Amino acid sequence: MATEEKASIGAVLVVGGGIAGLQAALDTANAGFKVYLVEKDISLGGIMAKLDKTFPTNDCSTCMISPKLIEVGMHPDIEVITQADVESLTGEPGNFSVTLTQAPRYIDLAKCTACGDCAKVCPVEMPSTFDEGLGTRRAAYRHFPQTIPAQFAIKKLDRPPCVTTCPATLKVQGYVQLIKVGKYEEAVKLIMEELPLPGVIGRVCPHPCESACRRREMDEAIAICDLKRFAADQVDLAKLPIPKVPRKRKKVAIIGSGPAGLSCAYHLARRGYPCTIFEALPVAGGMLRVGIPDHRLPKDILEKEIAYIQRWGVQIKTNMALGRDLTLDSLVKDGYKAIFLGLGCHAGTSLGIPGEEAEGVLEGVDFLRRQALGQPVRLGKKVLVVGGGYVALDVARTARRLGSEVVILYRRSRQEMPAAPEEILETEREGIRIEFLAAPQEVVLKDDAVAGLRCLRMALGEADASGRRRPIPIPGSEFTIAGDLVVAAVGQKPILDCLEGTGIQLTRWGTIDADPITYMTSRSGVFAAGDVQVGPWIAIGAVAGGREAAESIDRYLQGRDLAAGRGVSTAAQAMQGWVDIPLTEEKQPREPMPLLPVDQCLATFAEVRQGYSEEQARREAERCLNCAICSECLQCVQACKPGAVDHSQQAKKLVLQVGAVILAPGYRPFEARRKVEYGYGRYANVITALEFERLLSATGPTQGHVQRPADGRKPKKIAWIQCVGSRDKAAGRDYCSSVCCMYATKQAIIAREHDAEVEPTIFFIDMRAHGKGFDRYYERAEASGVRYVRSMVSRVAEKPQSKNLEISYVDANGKIQQEEFDLVVLSVGLDAHPEAVALGRRLGLETNPWNFAASRPFAEVATSRPGVFTCGVYQAPKDIPETVAQALAAAASASALLADSRGTLLTSKTYPPERDVSLEEPRVGVFVCHCGINIAGVVDVPAVTDYVKTLPHVVYADHLTFTCATDSLEKIRQVVQEHHLNRVVVAACSPRTHEPLFQENLRQVGLNKYLFEMANIRDQDSWVHQAEPDKATALAKDLIQMAVGRALNLEPFQETKFQVVPRGLVVGGGLAGLTAALTLAEAGYESTVVEKEAELGGLARRPHLTRDGRSVSAYLAEILSKVQQHPRIQVLTSARVIEFRGHLGKFVSVVQTGAGQRLEVSHGATILAPGAVEYRPVEYLYGQAPQVLTHLELEERLAGGQSLPTGSTVVMIQCVGSREPDFPYCSRVCCTNSVMDAIRLKEQDPTVKVIILYRDIRTFGFNELAYQKARSLGVRFIRFERLAKPEVTPVGRRLQVRVFDQNLHTPVVIPADYLILAAAFRPSPGLAEIARIYKLPADMDGFFLEAHVKLRPLDFSSNGFFLAGLAHAPKFTEEVIAQGQGAAARALGILAQETMEVSGAVAYVNTGDCVRCLNCLRVCPYGAPQFDPDVARVSIDPAACQGCGICCATCPALAIDIKHSRDRQFQGMLQAIS
Amino acid sequence: MKVSYYPGCSLEHSARDYQESISAVAALLNIDLTEIPDWNCCGATAAHSIDAHLALTLAARNLIQAEALGQDVVVPCALCFNRLKVAEHTLVHQQSALPEMNYQGVIKIWDLLDYLTQPPLLDQIQAKIVRPLRGLRTVCYYGCVVARPPKITQRPDYENPTNMDTLVKRLGGNPYPWSYKTDCCGAGFTISRPDIIDTLVQKLYDRALEAGAECIVVSCQMCQANLDIPQERISRQTGKSYYLPVLYFTELIGLALGHPEVTTWLNRHFVDPLPLLQRRGLL
Repeated sequence: MATEEKASIGAVLVVGGGIAGLQAALDTANAGFKVYLVEKDISLGGIMAKLDKTFPTNDCSTCMISPKLIEVGMHPDIEVITQADVESLTGEPGNFSVTLTQAPRYIDLAKCTACGDCAKVCPVEMPSTFDEGLGTRRAAYRHFPQTIPAQFAIKKLDRPPCVTTCPATLKVQGYVQLIKVGKYEEAVKLIMEELPLPGVIGRVCPHPCESACRRREMDEAIAICDLKRFAADQVDLAKLPIPKVPRKRKKVAIIGSGPAGLSCAYHLARRGYPCTIFEALPVAGGMLRVGIPDHRLPKDILEKEIAYIQRWGVQIKTNMALGRDLTLDSLVKDGYKAIFLGLGCHAGTSLGIPGEEAEGVLEGVDFLRRQALGQPVRLGKKVLVVGGGYVALDVARTARRLGSEVVILYRRSRQEMPAAPEEILETEREGIRIEFLAAPQEVVLKDDAVAGLRCLRMALGEADASGRRRPIPIPGSEFTIAGDLVVAAVGQKPILDCLEGTGIQLTRWGTIDADPITYMTSRSGVFAAGDVQVGPWIAIGAVAGGREAAESIDRYLQGRDLAAGRGVSTAAQAMQGWVDIPLTEEKQPREPMPLLPVDQCLATFAEVRQGYSEEQARREAERCLNCAICSECLQCVQACKPGAVDHSQQAKKLVLQVGAVILAPGYRPFEARRKVEYGYGRYANVITALEFERLLSATGPTQGHVQRPADGRKPKKIAWIQCVGSRDKAAGRDYCSSVCCMYATKQAIIAREHDAEVEPTIFFIDMRAHGKGFDRYYERAEASGVRYVRSMVSRVAEKPQSKNLEISYVDANGKIQQEEFDLVVLSVGLDAHPEAVALGRRLGLETNPWNFAASRPFAEVATSRPGVFTCGVYQAPKDIPETVAQALAAAASASALLADSRGTLLTSKTYPPERDVSLEEPRVGVFVCHCGINIAGVVDVPAVTDYVKTLPHVVYADHLTFTCATDSLEKIRQVVQEHHLNRVVVAACSPRTHEPLFQENLRQVGLNKYLFEMANIRDQDSWVHQAEPDKATALAKDLIQMAVGRALNLEPFQETKFQVVPRGLVVGGGLAGLTAALTLAEAGYESTVVEKEAELGGLARRPHLTRDGRSVSAYLAEILSKVQQHPRIQVLTSARVIEFRGHLGKFVSVVQTGAGQRLEVSHGATILAPGAVEYRPVEYLYGQAPQVLTHLELEERLAGGQSLPTGSTVVMIQCVGSREPDFPYCSRVCCTNSVMDAIRLKEQDPTVKVIILYRDIRTFGFNELAYQKARSLGVRFIRFERLAKPEVTPVGRRLQVRVFDQNLHTPVVIPADYLILAAAFRPSPGLAEIARIYKLPADMDGFFLEAHVKLRPLDFSSNGFFLAGLAHAPKFTEEVIAQGQGAAARALGILAQETMEVSGAVAYVNTGDCVRCLNCLRVCPYGAPQFDPDVARVSIDPAACQGCGICCATCPALAIDIKHSRDRQFQGMLQAIS
Repeated sequence: MKVSYYPGCSLEHSARDYQESISAVAALLNIDLTEIPDWNCCGATAAHSIDAHLALTLAARNLIQAEALGQDVVVPCALCFNRLKVAEHTLVHQQSALPEMNYQGVIKIWDLLDYLTQPPLLDQIQAKIVRPLRGLRTVCYYGCVVARPPKITQRPDYENPTNMDTLVKRLGGNPYPWSYKTDCCGAGFTISRPDIIDTLVQKLYDRALEAGAECIVVSCQMCQANLDIPQERISRQTGKSYYLPVLYFTELIGLALGHPEVTTWLNRHFVDPLPLLQRRGLL
C-alpha cells in the first residue's frame, strides 16, 4: 500500500458513549493509542445506564457500567468530548482529519464540582429524558450521579419567541419562571437588567411577545404583560439597594424624559456616567406621563420608577426645552460629551378632511396632555373619536369619564385595531360604541359648530405592508353620525423645529435620521432613539432604543467602535428550534384579569385593571411551556459558588487528527406511538419497555416502585407485547430486534422480585432465547410464574373507568380470549437512531435498507469506508455481550491498522511520592456511602456515621450519596490531606468492583494503596436485610467497626515490576484462533498457534456457506495463506499443550508437537479457542437411513454441486440435540442455517418441497429476512412441542414423518425423500483438557465460562486468559471472527505494556518457622512456591502468587502469611467487635 | 360553496333520514350539492365480492361522471366512499386495469364527515349554533371502513380518527374517549348471520355505556341501521334494556343549528332519540 510509507497517527476517534463506545475506547487506549471519545449527550452511559437489571444474570446495569465509566473517566489516554457531533471526516486510513462541532454546556467542566446547586435553584422543570419522560428534571441537570463527566449541564435551545419578539429582548421566559416559583424580587431584577420601568410597561405595553407565544397553538398566550406588572407590584423599588459603580467623569445630556430618555439615562448611569435629563414639560415621564390617562397608568407608579432611576444619580431638569432654554451647542459648551435626543412624537396628525379647522375638532394627544397636566379641556355631549389605536381608546375613555357619550370611528375591523383586544373590550364595557369600517369624509358643521361626521362605509381588501387588510371605500355608502366634538387620534409626529441649523438630518417622514444600529445622528456625539427616530411606536421600543443608544454612547466616550458585534440577529444562533409542546400538556385558559366594576370606572380615574392575585400569577406563570428550556433567569449564576456557569458559551468547532475511527452511535427504541393499535400515548397505562426499566430502577422516577402512570396504583397483572416495531413489515421494520424476548423475560422476573403479587404475561410469536444461557433463563422464568402466551396481540383497548387494558388473544387451544391487565408494556424494538443515520450519511457509509451500517464480508466491524470501524447496535440489533465483543473487535482492527504508531501519543501517568506513614499513629477516615437509596433506603446512614466517629483512631467520618462519584473522590482526597489521614475506610458496596477505584484515588494523594479498606454494607447488608432496617443499621456499624479494626493493622507494600513477554499463545487453529493470531501479528506482536489436528481450520474446513451466501472455505484459504506467510506467527500443528506455569504477562506453556518434541513457549497472554463440533444425532434414524443428514452434511453436498432430484420432499427438523433436558442450550445458528438451506434448495429447484419442523424460529436480527423469504418461496413451517416430537419411520425407499402441528392443532403425516437434522453444536472434546491444564472453568454445558457473561464475554476470571469462538458458545462465522479479533484486543492490552507490576498482596514464607515439609509446593495451583535445595529454603514467586491463601492454610508450622491478609489484620477485625 | 355529491343507493331508501339531514345541513352552510348525473351503484357488497372487474368498472364510471363536472365529490356512505377510493387508487396507479376508462384523478373524493369537518367549515358551523348540545354524552363511532385501508383512504389516523369527536365537541356535546370507534359492527352479516351481529353490537352497546355515553353518533348509514334496528331484539334476548339512540352526525349539526325538520328525521329511527333529547333540553 502506498500509504504505508507515511507514518499513521496513533490516535483513534470513538463516536458514542454507550457501552460499545466505552469498551472500544478502553481497549483501544490500553492497546497503546490516544482515544478521543465523542458523545452527543452531556455524559456517557448510553442506554445501558438507563436499564435496571440485565439478563440472564439479573446484575444491576448501573453497577456494571459505573466502573467502566470511571475507568474511562480516569484513563490518562482517553479524552472525553461530550455534546459533540462529527461533522466531517477527510483523509485516508491511518491519517484522518475529523471536524467536530461541540454544543455549549454553559457550565465550565473545569470549575464545576457537581454539587447540584444550579439544579436546586433552576425554576424550569422538564420531562427527564433519562427517565424517558416519566420523571422531571431541571434545565440545569445531569442524568445520574455516577455519570462521567459528573458535572452538570444546562439545556438551552433557541431563544424563545417571546424574547425575540420583544423589542427590548426582555428575558421573558426567565421572569415568568421566577414568578412561578415566587421569586418576585429576582424577577424584577432580571427585568430591570434591560428595562427600568417594569410597573409602567407591565401596564401599558401592547405586548407583541404574547402574539408570538407558542401557548397559542394549544389555547391562549401567557399573560406576560400582566405577570410583569404583578412582579413589579410586589417589589418596593425604594428599598432596592443601588450597587456602587465606579463613577466616570464624562457627562451626558439627555433631552426628553420619556421612555427612551429614561432608559438611556438608566443604562448610562449603571455604567457610571453622570447624566442629566432636560424635560420641556413641567413633569417628567414624556408620553408615559402626559399621553396615558390614570385609569390605565396611575401616576404614582411612573413616579416611583422615575425616582428609582434618579437614585442611580440621574438628574432631571424640567421646564427645560431644547431650542427655548438650551441648544446642542450650549450643552457642548457646558461640558456634555454626548447628547441623546429622546424627544418623542408629541404632535397629532390631522384628519385631512374638510371642516377640521372648526373649533370642535381636537387632536387626541393634545386632549390627553391637557387632561394630564390639569389644564382645562374642551368637552362635548357626544364625542366622536377617530382612530383605532391606544390614543383613540384613551381619549374615548377619558371623555367618557368626564361625562360625554362617546363613539369611536375606525376604518377597518376589530381584528385590525392596533390596540390590544382586552383594551378594546374594556372600552366597550364602559359603554363606548365602536363604529367599524367607517372613514370620516367631512366634518359636518352647523352654525360653525361641529354637528357630526359624514362617513363612508369601507370594505377590507388585500393586506397592505403592515400586514393588515387595506380598507376600500364602498361607493354610495355615505352616512352621517352626529356629535358635537371630534377628536382625531390617527397618528403622531415629532416637533423638530428646535433642530433647525444644528446639523441633525431628518428623514423624509420628519423623524431624526439616526443609524439603525448605533443610533448616532448625522452629528457626531449626538444620538437619537424612540419615537423621534422611528416614528410613533410602543414604549418598550423606545426603551430598547434608549438602551442601545446608551451602549453606543458608552463606546463613543471610550473611543471604541460603535457597531462592532452588534446588529447580529439572535435568530441566527444555534437554530435548534424550541422544545416540542408535550402531548400530555392539558389545555388551561389564561387567568382572567380582575377589573374595576364599570360604575366605579366611570366615576373616577382609578386604575381599571386590578392586577393578579399571587395565586393567579403563579398559576398563570405555570402555563409557560419553557420553549427554550433554559429561561436565562440566571439564578444558577448566582447560586454557583465556584462560578462555573457561563451563559455566554458558544458552539465550538474542533479539528482532530486520528488514524482510525470507531463508530458506536447506538440506536433508539422504536417509536411506540406508530403502532396506534396499542394506544401508546393515548392510554396512560400502556408504556414502553424502556419506560418500564426506569420504573424498576432504584434511581428512576418512582425509586424502583412499579406504579401505574394513570393513578400510581401498584399493577398486579402486567402484560408484555412482543415485536412492537420488530418483525413488522407494515411498520417498516422487517427485522427482529434480537433482544426483546429476553429483556421482557427479565422485566417479568424482576417485576415479580419487586412484588411477588405481580402476575406477568408475555405475548410473543417465537421465543428467541438464542444467546448463551438464555434458554435456561427462559425456563427459569416460566418455572417462577411468568406466563408465556404464544399469540400476537392485534390491539389494546382501554376500560374507561378503571383505565385497565383489555387484550384479546388466541389461546393454546385456538380459542379467542379476552383478558384485562393493569399495565401493558410494549417490547419496543431497536431502531436506527436518526442522528446515527445522519452521521453515516455525512461519512459516506453504506447502510442496509433499515439504516444500520453495512458490514464488509467476514468483517462485522468494518464499514464500507476503510479505516472506519463500527460496533454495537449501529451495526445490527444485538445484546450487550455481542456489543462488547464487537467493540473489542473494532479496537483490535484499529490497533492492527495503526500498528506503526502505537504508543506515539500516550501520556504517562505520574503519582506524587508516597508518604511514609510507618512511624505515624493510625489516623483513620471513614466514608459511608448512601449508594443513592440502595444503602440509605434501609440503613440509617447518618446514625452509622455518628457512631463511627466514636471509634478509636477514627479522626474523620462522613457520609456521601455516591462515594464512587467523581466529586466524592475529590472530597476524599481533600479530607486525606486536610486531616492527615493514613488509613481510609469506605463503607459502600463490593471491593470486587470498587476497591481499585478507591486505591487509585489514594495513590493520587500519595498514600499507599494498601492502606485502604472497604466494608460492604450494601451487598452484604442493605440488600439482604431490606425488611429489617434496624438490624441492618446495627450490622452496618459492626461491619464498619471490623473494617476499621483491620485498617489499624494495614501496612504499605511496594509493587514490583517485571518485563512482559510480547508474545501471544493461541490454542486452537480454527477461524477464531487464526483470526486472533493474525490480528496480533498485524498489530506487531508475535504469536504461537497450537492446533491439535494436522491441518489448520477446524470446523471451517467443512465446506459451507455464511448467512449471506459466501464460501467459508474460500475465506479460510485466504486466512491460511496470510497466517502461513506471516513472519510473526509460529504454527504448531498436531500439537497440544501439556503443561503450563507462570503468570499474567509471563506465562510458559509446554507444547508437545506432532514429532513428539517438547517445546516451551513463553507468552504474555493466552487465547483459548478450541472450538466445537457438530453433534452426531442418535435420533430420527440418523446413521441408519442414508436420506437422513445433518445440516453440515447437506451443505457439503450442495457445495459439491449435488442437487436434489426434482420434486423431492425435504423435511428439516430443528433442535436436534439442542434445548433438551441434558443440553438445555440453543445452538443459535440452526434456524437461520435451515432457512438459508431451504432457500437454496427452492432457488435451485422450485419443485423441491421443503418443510421445516421447529419449536421456535430463532432467526434473530436481519436473519429474520431469510425467514420471510423462505416463507414467500413456499417453504412450510410446522411447529411442534418438545414433548411431542416428530416421529420418523422408513416407508419403502422414503421416510414418513409424523408430527402434531401445534398451530393447526392437528397431526400431520409427511412422506419425505430427505430428512435434514439441525444438529446441535457441542464443545470440542479437547476443551476439558485445556481447561484442566490452565485451571479454567467451564459452564454447565461444557463451554468455557467467561469472567462475566455481560461485560467480559471474552475474558476468563484468571488474568491473562481470553477465549474466542465456538468454545464460548455456538455462533455464526462472522461472530467467530469478531470474537477472534476481540480476544486479540484483550491480549493486546497486556502485550502493549512493556512492564507490569506484581501485586503486593502475596504469600511469603517466614524461613525461621518453615519446616520444609513442601506441602505448599504440592497444593499451590499456580506453582508459585519453589524449593531451593542448595540453601534448603522455600520461597514464593510473588509474580506467580495470586494471593489465594491455600498454602497459608496448609502450612503446618504456620510459617506462611499473606501480605495484606495477615493474621493480625483479621484478629484486629475480630477484636473490634468482641 | 359548490361540490358534487354521490348519494349512493341506501340514502334514497333505508337511510332517508341521513339524506334529509345532509340536504338540510348543506343548505344551512350554503353548500351547493350537485348530484352526479346518472350515477350508478358503487359496486359495494354484491359486485365486489363476486366480480372484481365489474366492481371496479361500476365505481370507475361514477368517477368519470363526477370528473366531468370538474369539482370535488362528497360521499356520505362509507361503503360507497371506500369503493370509489379503491377505483381511484386503481385507475391512478394501475392504468392497465381498466384501459377503456379515462380518469385523470384531478378531483378529490371526500368522505362527508371529512368534508364537513374541514377547519373553515367547523368555524362556520360553530358560528351558527343556536342550541349547543350541552350535556349530551356521546361516543363517536366511525365504523370500520371509512378510514381503512389506509393505503386507499390515505388517512394516517385510521386506528384512531378524531374528527367526529372534534365536531361533537364544537357543537357543545361531550364525546367520551373509547377504544371501539373503528371496531366492526358486522353490518355485512345483518341478514345472513344475525347471531354474529348480536355479539358484536351488544359489545359496542356495553362499551359505549361503560364509557359513559347515552347515545352513539355515527357517520355511516350501515352502522346506524345495524346499531339501531337490533337494539330492541338484543334487549329482549339478554334481558338488558338498552336505550342508546344512534344519531347521524349531520342530525346533530341540524339540531345544534336549530333546523326545524330535526324531529322528522329523528322519528325515522328505531330507538327513539326524542326522550333523551328532551331530557337534555335539546328539543
